Amino acid sequence: MKGRKMPASTVTHPNVTPLIDIVMCLIIFYMLVARIGVATGADKKIDLPVSFQGVDIKDLGNTVTLNVSAAGENPLVTTLNPSTGATEEVKVVDGARKPLKALLQVLKGQNQNFKVIIRADQDLDYRYLEKVLATCSEAQVRDINFATRLPQAGLGIEPRVQP
Amino acid sequence: MKLKAASKIHYDAGPNMTPLVDIVMVILIFLMLTGTFAVGEHFLRSNLPLTARGGGGAAAPNVPLDEPLEIRVDSQSSEEWLAQVGQWQIRNSRPALAKQLTEMREALNANKTPTEKIQIVINPGRNTKYKHLVAVYEAALEARFQKVGFSTAH
Repeated sequence: MKGRKMPASTVTHPNVTPLIDIVMCLIIFYMLVARIGVATGADKKIDLPVSFQGVDIKDLGNTVTLNVSAAGENPLVTTLNPSTGATEEVKVVDGARKPLKALLQVLKGQNQNFKVIIRADQDLDYRYLEKVLATCSEAQVRDINFATRLPQAGLGIEPRVQP
Repeated sequence: MKLKAASKIHYDAGPNMTPLVDIVMVILIFLMLTGTFAVGEHFLRSNLPLTARGGGGAAAPNVPLDEPLEIRVDSQSSEEWLAQVGQWQIRNSRPALAKQLTEMREALNANKTPTEKIQIVINPGRNTKYKHLVAVYEAALEARFQKVGFSTAH
């Protein structure tokens, strides 16, 4: 009996299945770890101090970030303007007015549980920070969080002490 | 005229993946460009308002006052700091300050003052560097104090 021959295959394009597998893994990774659309107004140029005892804040929606730097004898405070999406300056004292206090009071009125995140340069003098803390105190804001950065591994910095 | 190739049997009968790959690549590039990652930031939390110098401040009526424990902090240079707590002075050493504070907390606990009733008040100088305050703050947390706050500058 004469056996039938298989016809020659005409497929010439490459097999893209492994590519799709890898790309899908990458997409899932990025979707899990990336924070998209979460604008906090954080000034990334600020050199934060290192700390070992910090905690993570899961819910950044209830927070307002204040970037504090020095400008003459007064602190320069910038924060996110939700209406424009830009980071803008908020004066602590402007003549007889206190714009930062007013802003914090408005936010406190909208959400009693809101938190303030203070981002300041590690070499900033306390006299600048003091005015911002005093304003938070005047606005009855009790939950204040100081942004710090984790120590980098392998730099000979002491390990974190577990409480 | 009949084409020769058209008469051949195609065994690759799966769906056309090209549009899927195109879209997936667009999504991947979008996520890579727009996503921001957690860059190792974390936070030191304080639920105490700024108090007047000396840990005083206006007390709420009918609320027993916490026991204030003041830590006076000064920056002697950009890299050196000095903390004074009670009669003790600790220079540039967060672990040493944490040890001292732990001993003081244990002494207060032995004196029937619970930890939750002790309020650590960090009293910095006007020119004290923020990083030094963070070190002192951490020492207080390492000593397992629960209430840590700042006072106005001395």
